[in-house]
Amino acid sequence: MIRHSSILKRRSRKRVNKAFDLQLTSMLDILVIILVFLLKSSTASTTQFATVQGIKIPLSVSPDVPPDSLHLIVTPEALTFENEEIMRFVITPAEGQDAAAAAQDDHVNYQFNPQDLSEGGRLVRPLYDALVKARERSELLRAQSQARDEEGKPLPFDGVLAIQADKRISYDTLRRLMYTAGAAGYKVFRFLALKKE
Amino acid sequence: MFKRPSSRRRASKGKAETVELNLVPMMDALVTMIAFMLFTLSFLNIVSIESPVPIASSRDVEKKLDEKPLQLTLSVRDQESEIWSPFERIAPSRIQNLPDGSPDIVAIHDKLVEIKQKFPRESKIVFVPNTKVTYDVLIAVMDSLRMMTPTDPPIFLKNEATGIDEPLKSLFPEVIFGNLLGGGER
Repeated sequence: MIRHSSILKRRSRKRVNKAFDLQLTSMLDILVIILVFLLKSSTASTTQFATVQGIKIPLSVSPDVPPDSLHLIVTPEALTFENEEIMRFVITPAEGQDAAAAAQDDHVNYQFNPQDLSEGGRLVRPLYDALVKARERSELLRAQSQARDEEGKPLPFDGVLAIQADKRISYDTLRRLMYTAGAAGYKVFRFLALKKE
Repeated sequence: MFKRPSSRRRASKGKAETVELNLVPMMDALVTMIAFMLFTLSFLNIVSIESPVPIASSRDVEKKLDEKPLQLTLSVRDQESEIWSPFERIAPSRIQNLPDGSPDIVAIHDKLVEIKQKFPRESKIVFVPNTKVTYDVLIAVMDSLRMMTPTDPPIFLKNEATGIDEPLKSLFPEVIFGNLLGGGER
């Protein structure tokens, strides 16, 4: 009986003393692979463009990475300028369809509210007001800035508008928005899309 | 019966001690980096296509009437697309739309490559889409107007600075909308 208990004690002592080594090499391999994948699939661009829920962005093979600029988002539901909703479209649902389902439809029927249009339907008034306000703010900041051109004048307003539209938006809508931007003193449109790999 | 030799003596006799690399701090660093990347990086790879606002000027029209530039124009209509020049520098070519009503982007691109071979220094194109064209189609057409594809025949242009013929990477990179202010059609 005494001999039996001493064997048990010796066994348990052996188990405690044995060093437990966790094999970290394979785990390290996995982490390195994840890190490489993240580095490869992420973009090097520092420019962040906000987006809205439910927008379907088209694909493009263009290699140009957009620099930071004023940003207009166009969905069949609303216009969002600089993260602020400035206007809503009128969505006409099909029979037996609710408005939320109609907005997600590939053939969504959306229209401008007639009160939001002027100049024979070519100018979108809420967008024009927002664009002019943004331009004036930018010009004021440039006037207060110490950066000057060769003649000592404040740097001119660059007038670039980045347009991120849903793929279902028609050119008829875009044309009105571009006309409005042109009238508000914007000179360049930058159409945004997702890069096609 | 012989006694078993001492294992302690055997281990100490000429067997080198194994050195184990401490991987725990390295793991910590990697986990921190992955977490940082997941939080900060954007996985949406956004690209852009630029287009200037067209400016109408009567002085430019007079100058153009004298010079008769190419002013390459692509009109996308309900049934067909047409590539033409208002000053008739090229024969107009009409391309039927696909059965689903969208413009035949491949045929348009091929025709533009032919034109680029004749006018390699031309970089502008006027785009006149109809009002029903969607943004998706607009981007696809603009891509086909601007970019050369790997299957296109190479077009070389002499670099004035180096005097070496260099292959062109873009087709007509400056796309201008011709009907923003109304008109632009024929």
